Amino acid sequence: MDIMEDLVKIARTRPEELKRQKEKNTKVIGYTGRFVPEELIYACGAVPYLICRGGEPDPPEAVLPYMLRFMSPFARSQVGYYLLGMDPVIPMLDLIVAQCDDCHMVRLADLFEYFHLPTVRIGVPPDWEKTLSVEYYYRGLTQLRERLELLTNTKVSNEKLGKSIDLINTIRDLLRNISLLRKNDPPPIGGYDFIRLNHSSFYCDLDKFAERLTSIYEQLKERERPFTEDAPRILLAGHVVSVGDYVVPKLIEDSGGVIVAEFLDEGMRQFSWNVETEGDLIKNLVQTYYLERIPPSIFQPGWHKRHEFMKKIIEDFRIDGVIWYQLSFEEIYDMESSIVSKSMDEMNIPFLKLESSYEYAREAMGPLTTRIESFIKSIK
Amino acid sequence: MATDVCEKFLRLTGFEETEMPEYVPEFYRASEKLGLSEHDIRYATEEWIPAHFDIKLEGVRKLLGCLIRETVDLTKANEYKQKGVKIVFGIMPAILHFYYALKLTAPEEVYVSFPDMFLTVVMNGLFRKLNPYLEEAEQSGISYGCRHCALNKTRYAARRLGIIPSPDVSWIWGFVCDEGPKTDEFIQLYHDTEWKTYITRIPHDQPLGTVEDEVTERVQYLATQMKDGFAFLQKQIGIKVPDEKITEVIRIRQRYVKKLGELNRLMASDPQPLNGLVGALFHEPLSMPFNLGIEPMEKALDTTINEAKQRVASKKGVLPKGAPKLMVHVMPTALPWISKMFEENGVGLTFSEVSVPTKKQLMPPNYKDPYMAAAETWLRRSSTINAGYKAQLICEKLERYGIDGMVFGFFDFDRWLGSDHKLLARMVEEKTKLPVFYIEGDIWEDRDYSPEALRTRIETISEIVKMRRV
Repeated sequence: MDIMEDLVKIARTRPEELKRQKEKNTKVIGYTGRFVPEELIYACGAVPYLICRGGEPDPPEAVLPYMLRFMSPFARSQVGYYLLGMDPVIPMLDLIVAQCDDCHMVRLADLFEYFHLPTVRIGVPPDWEKTLSVEYYYRGLTQLRERLELLTNTKVSNEKLGKSIDLINTIRDLLRNISLLRKNDPPPIGGYDFIRLNHSSFYCDLDKFAERLTSIYEQLKERERPFTEDAPRILLAGHVVSVGDYVVPKLIEDSGGVIVAEFLDEGMRQFSWNVETEGDLIKNLVQTYYLERIPPSIFQPGWHKRHEFMKKIIEDFRIDGVIWYQLSFEEIYDMESSIVSKSMDEMNIPFLKLESSYEYAREAMGPLTTRIESFIKSIK
Repeated sequence: MATDVCEKFLRLTGFEETEMPEYVPEFYRASEKLGLSEHDIRYATEEWIPAHFDIKLEGVRKLLGCLIRETVDLTKANEYKQKGVKIVFGIMPAILHFYYALKLTAPEEVYVSFPDMFLTVVMNGLFRKLNPYLEEAEQSGISYGCRHCALNKTRYAARRLGIIPSPDVSWIWGFVCDEGPKTDEFIQLYHDTEWKTYITRIPHDQPLGTVEDEVTERVQYLATQMKDGFAFLQKQIGIKVPDEKITEVIRIRQRYVKKLGELNRLMASDPQPLNGLVGALFHEPLSMPFNLGIEPMEKALDTTINEAKQRVASKKGVLPKGAPKLMVHVMPTALPWISKMFEENGVGLTFSEVSVPTKKQLMPPNYKDPYMAAAETWLRRSSTINAGYKAQLICEKLERYGIDGMVFGFFDFDRWLGSDHKLLARMVEEKTKLPVFYIEGDIWEDRDYSPEALRTRIETISEIVKMRRV
């Protein structure tokens, strides 16, 4: 679809646009992770930039003089791109809001600070069911709002915050509607395209993006199905498919499968939960971002709830097989994969665990392709 | 198993002759549970321990004996549970005040331990026999390839093998790593639904260089976390601990820390009187709760301090006079060959950073409330705090004890404690101008790197440090 390629192109050329915005004195705020509400950034008139690239082998390697080898290649990449001069946006950011929820992301924040990039941290307690933790995150968001107000010299009024919440709710609604089209058999859009579309939502002007999403949704409803009737319906689960890390989703669909749902903690706009626009808006953000969404793997207790949710997706989207995509040395996801594997065995759902260090050289691609092809064939 | 094998081992580890009739059968039973064969015990007695520990010293033998007593006691945890004793576990690093306060309050009604740490330090440190535990875990859901922590694997394996029971509460502290607490969730969902857990965490969100023990809001948060956790624990096991017991633990702890400080000062003598491993092992009661109490370790520490004083007075040491001394982040107590290899190259791996107190750590807490005091004490330590503050503490310790350099590393499995080492190395070197090194490795297990693989590295480091000293 041309309109989708347009969006991807807009997202790709985001750095130039951000540079133009900077020249007009608009502040550009980088952020990591899913617990930094973009709503706050928009509400103070700044532009957000999600730091979430991956899929290339050099950036995680570049950070090794400063960081342990056995850390997530995803976290390592974010600094790696900066060190290699491959990220034109990070050096021009007015502020980086670093989510501190697990060790990997905290070390990322350390390095941003070490390299004198303007950084503020937001603590996300993983023991999320405690009132103390909820209050901690609430306080963190309140302090972030104050920090952003100071930086942009703009008061974040309830009205402004409400408007930005509305806008992002609209984007969520549209993405959700598009995703739900994948309940059809065969679906009009696969995971490879949907993930890229979802990623684009972080790097486009949201008003225009909403219009385009509406148009995409209408086109998809009428679209000739690009997948065969017997294409196995795949749930792609795990930590993150970062921006640029599309090898695995593409291979799955090139091998004859179709990704009809994702269960990923990071890198995707979480579109299943909207933020309420009445009352204490910071509290509403906390409610949605911290309490209502399915907890990320690091939250504790979390796995039981996550797996119940996975089972629901499997049922709702009539999943034929689950591909668990984790990155090397992500210790929490690695343990969770064992539990998911056991659970899938019990449900008689085929399960494939893939691990990547963003090393997609020819030597690595051969075995990876074979594994995915074999898995898809085995469930076809 | 021949009785004399057990007797010889126990004699080597400081047991008195009068204890033999009672203790030999206990040790025998424990060995069977732990998977130790006659060959393993004979090897430890005749080769491994004499080669790596200064067993000429009575204090060192008593120290090893304390570890053995605790491990034997651990193998009785199932029996304790059957008798109605409440079982409380935890993971390191944790604030031990509460575990010791429980024991002070109801010594016969509760059993406390960090089983993984005892098993790792004893099974690998004294017997070289941790691998079966690690392999058990790796074959049952915690993969080898992801570089998971040996402690977590051991805790899980110990439960799978039936060495330890399901705890009434495993109060797990994710102050440092993510994997530790999540391992408990893993055990509960994957293997043992009876494994009960309470989790206490604190986000690592302080900017580099923040003096965290001086941030009242942070001390308060941590204190509340502890108070909530301890309240839950007491309710769960039905034992009420008065605040005075925590205060008493703080007093006992301060006394012990002071003695450790004295040992550290002696270690700084020239020539170095004792192997660095000894100082680190005496730190263990501050890293994991001893169910049998801290007092036996304190007695062994007193003896060792006296023996060290004698060596200092007679100018005797484990290294020649003038030999350089290094500090390591955490002494590999489960792999004693590492410090030995440094010594063989004429350099002391003398201090373990976590065991060496700063000036502030030796001072009493600023708060009267026991939870605030415990929180402040904790935030004065280097384990939990941000890398910038940690680097400051390390620099202070290096200066205070006139240490010749620093070795980071041996923590490649640890995404918190090990993940800032390369950054710390840069910060410390920039500030102190001392030689600072990083060695990729694992302080708990050495399946991935043999002594021979590390020898060249250690020889090179030793040469550099000696040259810098000339």
